[in-house]
This record gives sequence, C-alpha cells and structure tokens, in this order.
Amino acid sequence: MLHRIIVAVQKNDFDLNSEMETLKLKTEKAGAVVIFIGKVRDLEDDNLKYLEIESFEELAKSQIKEICDDAANKWDLEYILVKHRFGRLKINDNIVLVITSSKHRKKAYEASQFIMEYLKSNVPFWKKEVADKTQKWVENS
Amino acid sequence: MGKVKLKYFSRIRETIGKTSELVEIKSTNIQDLIEELQAMGEQYSVLKGRDFAVYSAVDQNIVTDVKTSIEGATEIAFFPPMTGG
Repeated sequence: MLHRIIVAVQKNDFDLNSEMETLKLKTEKAGAVVIFIGKVRDLEDDNLKYLEIESFEELAKSQIKEICDDAANKWDLEYILVKHRFGRLKINDNIVLVITSSKHRKKAYEASQFIMEYLKSNVPFWKKEVADKTQKWVENS
Repeated sequence: MGKVKLKYFSRIRETIGKTSELVEIKSTNIQDLIEELQAMGEQYSVLKGRDFAVYSAVDQNIVTDVKTSIEGATEIAFFPPMTGG
C-alpha cells in the first residue's frame, strides 16, 4: 500500500477541516480515520497562565518521521499526519494533531495510540507550566 | 578534536544560561566532554544528571551510552527527559 506521511513541527495552529479535506482526496480506499488532538489543560491546584513548549525542531521532525514510517509499515496505514506545535500556548490551545487512516478502524486506532505514546517521551519537546503561583517543567508521569 | 557546536535545551539551557555555544574541545566521548565542560564552570555540572536524566544527541542522533564517540561530530545537544504530546 502506498503510505502518505505528513509531519510538521510548527508554531502556528493547525486547521482540522483543511487537513481532512486533503486526507479525503488521498485515501479513497480507507474507511477509517482516527483523529487525536492534545490540547492545553488548566492545572488542578493553580491557574495556568500559559504553557511554553520548547523543541529541538530538526531532531523532533526526524524522530516523528521515523515513528510514522514504523507505524505505516506495522499497521498498513494509508495516511498518517502528525503536527506538533511549540511556543507559548494558552488553555484550550491545540498542542498536537495525530491523524491515522486505514481500511478498517482497528489499525487506525492502534497506530494512533502507538504514535502518541512515542511522542510523550521520545521526541525532543519540553513543556513548562507557568501559573499564578508557580512555574515548573513538566515531568513524565 | 576541534570546535563543536553545543546546544542546550529546557532545564539545562536555563541552568547553563545559553542556548548554544561553539567550544574547542579535546574529549572524544560524551562522558569525557561532560567532565571537560564542568572544568569550565560549575553551571555545567547539571550535565552530570544528578537531579534528572540527561540525554544527548550527536549530530542529531540520540545516544544512550555516554561512552559514545564524538570524534568528527559538529553538533552535540544536551537535554532532559522529553515531554511531548
């Protein structure tokens, strides 16, 4: 199957509708599309002012591309898109978009989760929560 | 060895106080480089990873073994555990 992989590390927000329009033009034989969006959430015990995301852009992009290649082969996906933002983001701003598309839903679901798990701790992004009372670098739980 | 561009990210960047620098180094692996840098100033002791794990990337390849050779490298990056997604 011809895999189509789109990866971006960017400051700007992404537009889900336009991404879906592009995807539909390229995936006529796929019946499943799984969309995951990670967004900025407020803190439990403080008021978040903003989330600062730092990235090692070139390396992040190559690491994401590599995991997308793996996922495309493992789950025989028709289309994978990963766009991850950096910079200063506010509550509810989008952080990451992962779209996976395959003939049937199971492969698209599994691949989406696999890619997100990888992004959490293997791609060079770092998040700093700046709140009213505190500011701290996020650590993986 | 020669001149190498060193890059620092996140907590390491904050502690060292710069995003990157061009440094003349003698070391031929990551472990020796960290020792060499520490001799330049106490702020570089953050690279020893006492408070959190320190990762490095040599010419944009993440390495896990501090004995990894850096001979011929042009860029070495240091960073804490990654928290993407």
